[in-house]
Amino acid sequence: MSSQSQVEVLLVEDNPRDAEMTLRTLRRRNLVNSVVHVKDGQEALEWLFAEGAHAGRDVSQLPKVVLLDLKLPKVDGLEVLRAMRADERTRLLPVVVLTSSQEDRDVIESYKLGVNSYIVKPVDFENFSAAVAELGHYWLLLNQKPL
Amino acid sequence: MSYLFALGTTLGTLWLRLAFGYHAGDEPVLVLFILPVVLSAYVGGLGPGLFATAIAALGSSYYLLTPLHSFRTSDLNLPNWVAMIIVAVLIVVLVNALRTNHRNLRAALADAGEIRTALDQHAIVAITDPRGKITFVNDKFCALSKYAREELLGQDHRLINSRHHSKEFISDLWATISQGRVWHGEIKNRAKDGTFYWVDTTIVPFLDAAGKPRQYVAIRADISARKWAEEAQVRLAAIVNSSDDAIISKTLGGIITSWNPGAETLFGHTAEEAIGQPIAMLFPPDRLSEEDEILARIARGESVKHFETLRRRKDGSLVDISVTISPITDHEGRIIGASKISRDITERKLAQEKTAWLASFPEKNPNAIVELDLRSSEITYINPAAIRLFPDLPKLRLEHPFLAGLPALFEATGQGTDGEPMRHERVLGDRCFSQTVNLIPESGRVRIYSTDITERLRAEEEVRRLNAELERRVIERTAQLEAANKELEAFSYSVSHDLRAPLRSVHGYVRMVMEDYGDRFDAEGVRLMNVVSSEARRMGQLIDDLLDFSRLGRQKMGSTEVDMTALARSEFEHQTRDLKDRVPRLDLRPLPPTQGDPAMLRQVFANLLGNAIKFSRHNPTATVEIGSQSGAEGDVYYVKDNGVGFDDRYLHKLFGVFQRLHGEAEFEGTGVGLALVKRVILRHGGKVWAESKLQEGATFYFTLPTDRHN
Repeated sequence: MSSQSQVEVLLVEDNPRDAEMTLRTLRRRNLVNSVVHVKDGQEALEWLFAEGAHAGRDVSQLPKVVLLDLKLPKVDGLEVLRAMRADERTRLLPVVVLTSSQEDRDVIESYKLGVNSYIVKPVDFENFSAAVAELGHYWLLLNQKPL
Repeated sequence: MSYLFALGTTLGTLWLRLAFGYHAGDEPVLVLFILPVVLSAYVGGLGPGLFATAIAALGSSYYLLTPLHSFRTSDLNLPNWVAMIIVAVLIVVLVNALRTNHRNLRAALADAGEIRTALDQHAIVAITDPRGKITFVNDKFCALSKYAREELLGQDHRLINSRHHSKEFISDLWATISQGRVWHGEIKNRAKDGTFYWVDTTIVPFLDAAGKPRQYVAIRADISARKWAEEAQVRLAAIVNSSDDAIISKTLGGIITSWNPGAETLFGHTAEEAIGQPIAMLFPPDRLSEEDEILARIARGESVKHFETLRRRKDGSLVDISVTISPITDHEGRIIGASKISRDITERKLAQEKTAWLASFPEKNPNAIVELDLRSSEITYINPAAIRLFPDLPKLRLEHPFLAGLPALFEATGQGTDGEPMRHERVLGDRCFSQTVNLIPESGRVRIYSTDITERLRAEEEVRRLNAELERRVIERTAQLEAANKELEAFSYSVSHDLRAPLRSVHGYVRMVMEDYGDRFDAEGVRLMNVVSSEARRMGQLIDDLLDFSRLGRQKMGSTEVDMTALARSEFEHQTRDLKDRVPRLDLRPLPPTQGDPAMLRQVFANLLGNAIKFSRHNPTATVEIGSQSGAEGDVYYVKDNGVGFDDRYLHKLFGVFQRLHGEAEFEGTGVGLALVKRVILRHGGKVWAESKLQEGATFYFTLPTDRHN
């Protein structure tokens, strides 16, 4: 997944189907050249901070946006978010929660932790791909990156 | 004798004259014969005086007058001789009158002395001068007044003034006697020793020549005994008359002879009505035999004392009396009747009844009540319950554990001495008693009221134990509930997350198939793939609704004033925004506001109006009516449509989750809406119900109690 080129999106998603649909949409719409997909929270943090399996990666190279699922094996999405916001290097990195959960709890907790956007994955594929396309368009093309 | 004396003295005088040298021719000195005449008249009276005069006349004529020795008298001496006789007769008459007078006076003086002696024996005599100064008192006066004569003489009667009589009485007395009239009356006097006596008094004024009182003689008789008797009589009569008791006398034959005002008050008959009547009129018919018994006892000289019985009043009512009956005797001691003293004891009977009634409270009290004299440690009262509970108490007294240490407790705490009762608890064996101890300051006694609180303590202990148990259970149950809630949340979370993910994949992959390979499918292939897609979408909707429903149960509920009319209108507009020409007519009546969670109540209208619109969409004149009516449990809101309605046989299923009464092909829906409505209304403390007939529309009602505050 990783390449020498600039990574634009870090997709943290344990569900391979959702991941495939997300990636398909982003690619089909030509919104992204480089996506890194990690399957759990721990790997996400290792990638971000160049630790463990991703040791040696250039830590300064950060994506334009992190698409973060909440329900993840090992370290869940909120933990990942908390860790990112606690670390100076990733404190300002835009994070979009892309999840199935509509729970108020999750929404509120995410915003408290400093999420930039919270999107519930629609069941309907058309709606889903439209949502992904919109967020890709916004965060990758329109939004001014802080770092 | 007097005649002899007259003869002797006259002859003596003749002899003396002859013996002392009488010579014829001498002066006969006839005047000498006056002496024996006077003496004879004085000693013998008229007879001897005249006799002496005759002797003197004859003797002088014979022996002294010429011619001597002849009873003839010369003319020369005749005038002297006749003058002598006339003078002698005159002297005799005068002396005799004097003598008679003198004798009468002597007799009168003797009489007066005797009368005074007699008076002194009988009466109390005092004489005063016109100014009232006592000039004489007799012995009886001294004896009665207890003053010595010397103490009385020169004083006036104020000395013995009793101050009993009025000023008018005294001035009337003086007015009477100073005018020379006799005063008669009864006077109360005061003796030297302070005792009083009564005298019946007559004061006689003695007047001088000018008619002014010269002195007053007061003659008195001691009438004290009578006066005292009279006073006693008056006192007795007053006592009898003023007595509240009925005092009656009767003959041995039972005839009433006297009747005091007390009797009138008690029995109602006046004295006039009662006297002469048989005493039996006072007896109730069933007590007539009492009278025979009483009369028999009286006849034997016995008294009946404080006999309590019933008597009948004039008006026929009965009265409780206590009667004492004693025989009345005459002077000779014969029993001639009886006196009856009757007392109305109605009050006493009532008081006795009340006392007995009041006493029954401690007596019948199942709790122990004891009164104790702290100084002597005597038990002055103990009720039966206390004896039953503590048989040794009267014997052991302060040594009994029920009372032990009580005086020390009083001293130590000073409690209970200020009128406030002292309370403490005592454990005796397996029982516990709460004692309230009251000091009665007037008697120095303490009253101990005790209550067996063993059962209460046990019950309290049991309550505490049960409470603890309950609390423990509540904690346990709460923990269980919390765990269940957590589980449910986890479940919902999984549902929302894990259940939707595969659906999304199904839908997504179908779309991906169609995007990538759609052109290779024939029409039937496309239709089938679309079914897969739409079913996935529908399941997604089901899951979303279910999550809404589950979230509603857990959500925190706000409570603010909600304008139900505005809420209904805005939700109706929201629901019909996209309906274009199929908007039903809205009949919205003013709704009373309520307290509640506005978001949740909006859900209620969303679902009820959504249903009303949905199920009436085939009716060209669809109308949705929203209104309210007053009910027993507060305001009842309703949403009414004229749509297809439902079969009321399935009413019980209406509010169940996923329950649908219409086919999916006919009316879309997941069957969660009404379950959600019910949940919201229940959480607001209200009720929801529906009425409908197939093809006749449906009405949904709900209440929202407004007194719900917590």
